[in-house]
Amino acid sequence: MATLVGLDFGSTTSSCLVAAAAVRRNAATGRMELADVRERFRSELAFTPLAGEQLDVPGLEALVDGWLAAARLDPDDVIGGGALLTGLTARRGNAAALAAAVRRRLVDAVVAVADDPCLESWLAFQGSAAALSRRSPDRWFLHLDIGGGTTNVAVAKAGGVRATACVAIGARHVRLAIGTTVLAGHSSLGRAVLERLGLPLAVGADLGAAGVERIAAWYLDLLHALVGSATGGPPLASDPLTAAHVQVPLPGDLPAAAVDAAVTLSGGVGQLVYDLVAGRDVPGVGGFGDIGTSLARGLVDDPRCRDRWREHRPDAGGRATVAGLLRHTTRVSGASLHLPDAAVLPLADVPIVADLHAACDEGAVRGAVGLAARGRRGAGLRITGLRSAAEVRAFGARLADAFATVGIPGDVPVVLLLDTDAGKALGLCATRWGGLPMRLLAIDELDLPDARFVALGRPRDGVVPVTFHGLTT
Amino acid sequence: MPLRPLDQIPVPPPQPDDDYRFAGPDGPIVFRGLKALLGAADVSKAGDRHAGLAAADEVTREAARTLLAGLTLAHLHERPLTTAAGRVDDVMRVNDDVDQEVYAEIAAETLGGLKDRLLAASGAEAKRLGRGLTGVAAAAVAKLCDVHELILVSRRIVNSARARTLLGAPGTLASRLQPNHPTDDPRGIALLCYWGLSIAAGDALIGVNPAIDTVDSVSAVLRLLDTIRRRTGAPTQICVLSHIKTQLACLDRGAPVEILFQSLAGTEATNLAEFDITVALLDRGHETMAARGPLVGEEAKQFMYFETGQGSEFSYGRHEGIDMTTTEALCYGLARRYDPYMVNNVTGFIGPETHLDNFELIIASLQDLFMGKLLGLPMGIGTSYTLHANSGLEGQQAATELLAAGGATYFMDVALGTDRMLAYFDTSGHDDQTLREIHGRLPGREFLEWCLGRGILARDADGLVVRGPTWGRPDQFVSGADELDDLIAATPGLHGFETAGPRPADAVSRRVRWHQAVGRQAVRTPLDPARLAGLGPLRPIGTRAATLEEHLAAPALGALPGAGFETLRAEPHRVQILVSDGLSAAAVHANVPEIVPLVREGLAARGVSSGVPLVARHGRVKLAAPVAERLAADVVVHLIGERPGGDVRASRSLSAYLLYRLPDDVRPAAAAASGNPGIRHEYSVISNIHDGGLAPVEAAATIVEKVTAILEHRAAGNRLEALLAGA
Repeated sequence: MATLVGLDFGSTTSSCLVAAAAVRRNAATGRMELADVRERFRSELAFTPLAGEQLDVPGLEALVDGWLAAARLDPDDVIGGGALLTGLTARRGNAAALAAAVRRRLVDAVVAVADDPCLESWLAFQGSAAALSRRSPDRWFLHLDIGGGTTNVAVAKAGGVRATACVAIGARHVRLAIGTTVLAGHSSLGRAVLERLGLPLAVGADLGAAGVERIAAWYLDLLHALVGSATGGPPLASDPLTAAHVQVPLPGDLPAAAVDAAVTLSGGVGQLVYDLVAGRDVPGVGGFGDIGTSLARGLVDDPRCRDRWREHRPDAGGRATVAGLLRHTTRVSGASLHLPDAAVLPLADVPIVADLHAACDEGAVRGAVGLAARGRRGAGLRITGLRSAAEVRAFGARLADAFATVGIPGDVPVVLLLDTDAGKALGLCATRWGGLPMRLLAIDELDLPDARFVALGRPRDGVVPVTFHGLTT
Repeated sequence: MPLRPLDQIPVPPPQPDDDYRFAGPDGPIVFRGLKALLGAADVSKAGDRHAGLAAADEVTREAARTLLAGLTLAHLHERPLTTAAGRVDDVMRVNDDVDQEVYAEIAAETLGGLKDRLLAASGAEAKRLGRGLTGVAAAAVAKLCDVHELILVSRRIVNSARARTLLGAPGTLASRLQPNHPTDDPRGIALLCYWGLSIAAGDALIGVNPAIDTVDSVSAVLRLLDTIRRRTGAPTQICVLSHIKTQLACLDRGAPVEILFQSLAGTEATNLAEFDITVALLDRGHETMAARGPLVGEEAKQFMYFETGQGSEFSYGRHEGIDMTTTEALCYGLARRYDPYMVNNVTGFIGPETHLDNFELIIASLQDLFMGKLLGLPMGIGTSYTLHANSGLEGQQAATELLAAGGATYFMDVALGTDRMLAYFDTSGHDDQTLREIHGRLPGREFLEWCLGRGILARDADGLVVRGPTWGRPDQFVSGADELDDLIAATPGLHGFETAGPRPADAVSRRVRWHQAVGRQAVRTPLDPARLAGLGPLRPIGTRAATLEEHLAAPALGALPGAGFETLRAEPHRVQILVSDGLSAAAVHANVPEIVPLVREGLAARGVSSGVPLVARHGRVKLAAPVAERLAADVVVHLIGERPGGDVRASRSLSAYLLYRLPDDVRPAAAAASGNPGIRHEYSVISNIHDGGLAPVEAAATIVEKVTAILEHRAAGNRLEALLAGA
């Protein structure tokens, strides 16, 4: 069994999840995959320790060490996972130090440290609504993962994410004394919203029920404007407050059909919406010490949503499942690879420098190899559509010519990332059956997202764990 | 009751063969010895014909039957069948462990007289008489019976058994769920369990043939089945059909081995050499289960499960000159020693070399039911077929209708009749329910109550049991659509859950039959050199199998060199490539054009020369050996079509057998590693090559790397893997 570790450092709380999974070939598809992902350990929620406006990195390291010990992890079994720095945590000045600390602890594993809002959106969708979307492949889905600090937006169809966005809408920008409407604190953006609405800024001031509702309404207006701007509506307001909230906008060219997308929700606020719809008890205003319940009620009562979340409901009721998250963070390669020297692995943060297709001509191939030659850390080439032996031989010959012409330093790893089952053959053809002195790897049968970086773990059971990050959609 | 030690079973000493003479219209017809007489008295079947035991014509057969009918039981008893070396083997010895009182009562009866007595007897009386019979005697009577007689006697006999639940009560027809998966994927196994349970299948047992026969893997599957049983609440028992040694090791580790399984053959030689079992081992398994099987302490009285099938002894070449029906009955005599919970017969599984067509399959199945029930066993019959035989679904269904009439205790539930692991075809849960409705039968009592409670079955206004609202709904056992999707995604060969009455909906049946048709066509498609034209020059060679029918019916012929071999001479090439149709020329057409050019390019790039490829029609795996010897090749890359199963893609599946011709100085090491002092060749195998398995282009690269490794390390197969692992 392989082990996956998920670390979540959120705006308010942090937690650790450990799952066990089997690496096996799917007899129906013929592909290698991680199967039977089962939760093995789940930590208690801990408050994310802060030191002033910065993360308390030593405190966080102690937290992580405690979790890993409690989970009785054997580091050799860990093949991958993810560390998510989300919301406000990702925006702290020393977030990178936390990422580095995680990497030090899981050095041989493929760990995606996602301070990357697009990856968060993608994961949130994959973890909660992807299966639902696959079951209704003709329907567009708008997935909103509304947490404490951010709302991650994914627009998807047939299980695939087509666009992502991130906006600083969350329950914890304005904090309330529990069960009241009395202001207990705010983030800098929360303060700006309070100012915009003419509400009091002083901790201890009573915002009143109407005041809290206005805050929630402002956030929902912003959310609608964000989605509307990408689906044929007016552009987003150009004022500084809007700009400060919209960290990543949606692309403006989504198809018209996406306007009527089914809405799915996750995150703390998303769960509250489903609880309200199901008639379960949900605390009143300030029930969790923030404006989360008001955001949830606002969404339920918002006529603009036209009940579009009632149409499709994620099976997990809006909770992004551990299995879903971890399964989609780490993938595994096919079983026949070109990996002459496994000692070259693991490889972290290999930049993906070019996309090539089976039909690419010599110029395109040489250009891509030229880009690969520039990096000292190595480079990845994404290659799609190679199927027949003739295609593999011809493409391999073009690559071999380019490698020989351009000259790749022998110690620089070049990783060929293939969507089809042709890695071993392409690797051999591209090195002239092992005759070219270079460090080439060909990893195949991958779902290839539009990502900027790839990390490869050590081979396990004949396959290589792979993580992509720096997603660009 | 303790098992009687073998040396305390009274067995008469072997006798020289008698001549049995019959006055025919054109002169005497003579049968030399009891084995010849028994063989000739049977319906002619492929295995017996190949073994030279079947009667040449109807006159000879009826002469043999007439002679046999006149022999007394004492005559049979005093002439125990022996091995080729004249020894009474342990299987025959166990068969002689009969009820001596009953035997004494009927010893003077002729076999014809015994048959008449059975036809006139009640079921209970027939069963009592059966306790005085050996397998040989039961087989002899079966050979005298026509179809009505086989069914009539079988029908009357009730053999029930109790593990956690009761199997074989009057009025019931049970189902043995077989959720096999090609990689033991727990998702696929779970889905096939849920599907079976949802159509009221699985009351006899849920049993998996494992793809991986290791203690770890088998234990994991046992625990999975146990979880499924507990989660669904289905009152049944579970089993993983691995080797008995593996199961006993699993039991030692605490895995829930509720029922202990083993395949049996009717000769000691087959059991020892092919199944790696002895009577002593079976005795130990039985004693272990009696002492500490998980069902001990419950109401369970039986806990052993055996699988048999006509022709395994012949196909392994270890039948000792005994015909298929008799060796099958000898299995039952062996099984009887352990008072099993169930016995399953899978006649037809092997292929056309034992049972050529539907008629042979139907008759054999009815004989098996008759003999098994007469010998006191709770018999289930898994009438099976493969796509390279002339038998098929219609013949199988005709057989099961007759077997249901004959009171078969249970049938198999292999989802949609297509085994996803073993590339053969059996009955389905839909068939089981159909047979229940046609023949007025119900599942076992405990399972029936469970089905009624879940709405899988229901009672109509007249109190009759009918299909209920959740019949055919596997989703009733999962948490939601996500889980079901997850299970479906890991399961091949799902053609739809839709039903029409107790049957699969027509659209589903059409898909199943389409896949079968394509697979069958793959076997029948002639190897077409024009499809390989892009490979450049080729050298056609032949085998001793002159026709497709010979090729299918007599596997040994395809391994022997035929036309064209005489022109082959030693060549300087280290590697030769041989292409054979095997059991799927379609696999050759689909994959070989992709593989061969890349293999030759790769070998050439590594300085290894290869000769002009050879192409053999009607070839079998071992044809590579004479090719290697004639051409003095170090390695022969033999690309050969695999036996098609129930999936279109898999019917295009190819294997690459890499034969290494052992040099003289390497042979001692190979002999030591294999335990075979005469070893001349070692094999590495790359299988499952097709679009959907190992892609042909990747197979080519893998072949080049493997051949390079063979030549470098001077080893193939397990010895090579051990060297590579230690390198």
